[in-house]
Amino acid sequence: MSRYPQTLYTVLQPDQHTITRPNDEFMNLSASVTASPSLGKRLSQLRQRWGFTLLLLLGCAVLILLVLAPLYTLLSKSVENKAGDFVGLDNFVQYLSSSAFESAFFNSLWVAGLSTVVVVLLAFVAAWALTRTRLPFTGLIRGVLVIPILAPSLLSAISLVYLFGNQGVLKSWLLGADIYGPIGVVLGSVFWTFPHALMIILTSMENADGRHYEAASSLKASPWRTFCTVTVPGARYGLVSAAFVVFTLVITDFGVPKVIGGQFNVLATDIYKQVVGQQQFEMGAVVSVLLLLPALLAFAADRYVQRKQVASFTAQSVPYKPTVNKTRDRLGGLLLLPTLVFILVILGTAVYASFVTFWPYNLDLGLKNYQFDLMDGGGWGAYLNSIKMALGVMCLGTVLVFFNAWLMERTPQPSGLKGLFQLLAMLPLAVPGLVLGLSYIFFFNNPGNPLSVIYGSLFILILCTVAHFYAVSHLTAITTLKQLDREFEAVGESLKASRCRVLFTVTIPLCLPAILDVALYLFVNAMTTVSAVVFLYGHDSQLAAVAVLNMDEAGDTAGAAAMVVLITATCAAAKLIQGLLRYWLDHSTKAWRQGSQ
Amino acid sequence: MQQSIQGSRLVVSNVSKNFGSFSALRDINLDIEPGELVCFLGPSGCGKTTLLRIIAGLEQQSSGSLHQGGVDISLQPPSARDFGIVFQSYALFPNMTIAENVAYGLRSMGTPKTQIKQRVADLLATVGLPDQAKKYPTQLSGGQQQRVALARALAPNPGLLLLDEPLSALDAKVRNHLRTQIRQLQRQLGVTTIMVTHDQEEALAMADRVVVMNNGVIEQVGTPMEIYQQPASAFVAEFIGAMNFIGNASVRGRSAQLGARVLQLKTPMPAMQESVRLAIRPEDVHLQPFDDQGWAAQVETMDYLGAFIRTQVTLRECGLRLVVDVDPRSAHTLGLTPGAWVNVTLPSDSLHCFAA
Repeated sequence: MSRYPQTLYTVLQPDQHTITRPNDEFMNLSASVTASPSLGKRLSQLRQRWGFTLLLLLGCAVLILLVLAPLYTLLSKSVENKAGDFVGLDNFVQYLSSSAFESAFFNSLWVAGLSTVVVVLLAFVAAWALTRTRLPFTGLIRGVLVIPILAPSLLSAISLVYLFGNQGVLKSWLLGADIYGPIGVVLGSVFWTFPHALMIILTSMENADGRHYEAASSLKASPWRTFCTVTVPGARYGLVSAAFVVFTLVITDFGVPKVIGGQFNVLATDIYKQVVGQQQFEMGAVVSVLLLLPALLAFAADRYVQRKQVASFTAQSVPYKPTVNKTRDRLGGLLLLPTLVFILVILGTAVYASFVTFWPYNLDLGLKNYQFDLMDGGGWGAYLNSIKMALGVMCLGTVLVFFNAWLMERTPQPSGLKGLFQLLAMLPLAVPGLVLGLSYIFFFNNPGNPLSVIYGSLFILILCTVAHFYAVSHLTAITTLKQLDREFEAVGESLKASRCRVLFTVTIPLCLPAILDVALYLFVNAMTTVSAVVFLYGHDSQLAAVAVLNMDEAGDTAGAAAMVVLITATCAAAKLIQGLLRYWLDHSTKAWRQGSQ
Repeated sequence: MQQSIQGSRLVVSNVSKNFGSFSALRDINLDIEPGELVCFLGPSGCGKTTLLRIIAGLEQQSSGSLHQGGVDISLQPPSARDFGIVFQSYALFPNMTIAENVAYGLRSMGTPKTQIKQRVADLLATVGLPDQAKKYPTQLSGGQQQRVALARALAPNPGLLLLDEPLSALDAKVRNHLRTQIRQLQRQLGVTTIMVTHDQEEALAMADRVVVMNNGVIEQVGTPMEIYQQPASAFVAEFIGAMNFIGNASVRGRSAQLGARVLQLKTPMPAMQESVRLAIRPEDVHLQPFDDQGWAAQVETMDYLGAFIRTQVTLRECGLRLVVDVDPRSAHTLGLTPGAWVNVTLPSDSLHCFAA
């Protein structure tokens, strides 16, 4: 369970992908040459030299089409009126002066801020207990702690409704406070963003240098002082990175506040209201631009902070191994317990509620809630569509991501083009799903755009989702390709093997584990995402995660719970298949991987 | 057994390479004979690896031309050129067995399977790994991996073998052993070979000729003996072996005026050279028992290095420090201890003169 997001988050450690290679001056065409070979020969050389560049330019064009161009349309919409005339910043002035904005903006900020503090604290404590104590079953504990990543963010909100809502079994625990509002939003956000923070912090804490701890103890530092002077500073970049990631995830998430926010207005739900509720597209664009700002800011700040990080774990480091200390282990277990219970209770509630006939009056178990075809929201067809879309995203995305990363990393490219591509590939990390979805409406629903034929189809959902999750996949691919020996292609050329032969006989076999990781990442996210696709699905392309939202809105919470559990189970099954494939792969390639890890 | 390869002649003419405003190589000219083993030697950043990569076609020269076996290869991509290459990292394909690695280039050329099998077996026998064919690279030691990389590079019978720091990832003992083995194999096959190294000992031990490079230019080309005994520049003198720079002297004919002393030179300097840097190697300085007539010096430190003792002495009259290598027997006879006094002689046929 723990392996998949871990590898994906390893790549967020920037020391691995800020390395630039000085040697890529292949393209230096200023070479004045003395001989003049035949024209045909020259042409084939030109093709060899420029072919890869053309392909990467094509890759850039695809990303421009899928990310940059829609965003540009969104920006230009935000400064137009309904008729399409340029009105400058009028829309912004109008929205900013409305009372809706003020409440939404500050609500978003403090809810995201509070969730961030809670999640980062919990995740740090959990990571500490997992890496600095000798607790048993850490593999299992890790597995449980990252389960929420396999579920749509809606799951926690639905469970919270069952636990603390009007019919909730634990309603009295809130002492009269209302779960529909900020409390629900914070609790729900904590649940689904926790694994993201845990993965990042774990990565930064796992590679601890044992010598630092030996030095501290030989200098007679108390355990508390060692914790403050060695453990915390070692994890600080992970903590900062996790904080930025969680803040961005919460402020741009719309599923949780939609389901459990009640009258509590936040920016993300406001976009939805403006567009779907009031058909005020240009106002939706305005809110999108405002939502893009904190996301971009967090993204830039994170990049800036991470740039300062230097690898503290070098080849000379000795991995840290916790010493025997019963008290500390018990403390670790005690600190982990609330988080584990929280996750299991939320998850268990959703599963249990999905089988309960009529909450809370008839607690008989049955499959009544799974008869989706008798409910609104798209029924089993929506689930099938989700599977189709997730498979499409997985196949198209994995191929696109790895091929482009291969072009960028393993073929001669002008450094300017590489920089441009890197920028385009990272951009989606800063664009909230809602914003991307809305910008797709503007870009693809324009009759003047020849691509508008795909609007409303499953295909546009696939494209949008690939774009939405491009950045993390790209980072994984680049990191993996960078780890391969720099000279494979050079050796191949000296042995008269084409780059393609090296690609298929060496590069792809070596990258298979990472390819599987990326495929799973794309599949799971395509299954669970709501934010980008909620604007884009058409009559024939309803999706399961969106159906959850619609069923909940129609008051059919039980059906929503059943669908959310079904999605989570599907993702868990995908994870299981990927795990088996990984196991088989590791097993069958054990002979040559021996000693290399 | 191994058939012999016809090594090709390589001519590098006026090759320069710029990275932006930085010039990595300036006007390089080289003529490498068929079957020769040439070492590019220099400190890191001197351009030796860039030159090797230009010869391989992995890097494009900014100007100049390359001819291999009389054919202009200046514009050819690496795949069209005729060379085998071994990198410092070996770059063995980890997912293939040793046999598959060695066969990789033969497969590209469409060699029949039975021939590939035979050739792979021959090559592995030649490099001394006949029974490792079915293993994977990670199951071999560094030295063995290095030999597999060599076999892989030699499999398609290249006219030119390029070795990029092939031994620097190995420990000293394996390195010495492989040095001899590579040299023998290269002689036996007759393949023209270029080896890049920053290890002067390796270059001197293996090369027919050494190309000493610094800051993107060639400082000197010559046999190991020429390079060591007649260094063409102060850089070469200091980079290869150890050298005492005694100081600037004004020269008239054969006599060099160094402070109060006059030293006799082996060859007269051209009249133009009014002021030169005098230098002498540590093993050429002679120490004699102390008397009041000679050039008196006091022993400062003595480092016992096994075969000889590296001794530092300070000349009384000018305070100049000299490093002197003394064999342990003479040191005993002279009664050398830190603080002791000796006389120093600088034999005229061991004095080197460089432009000041």
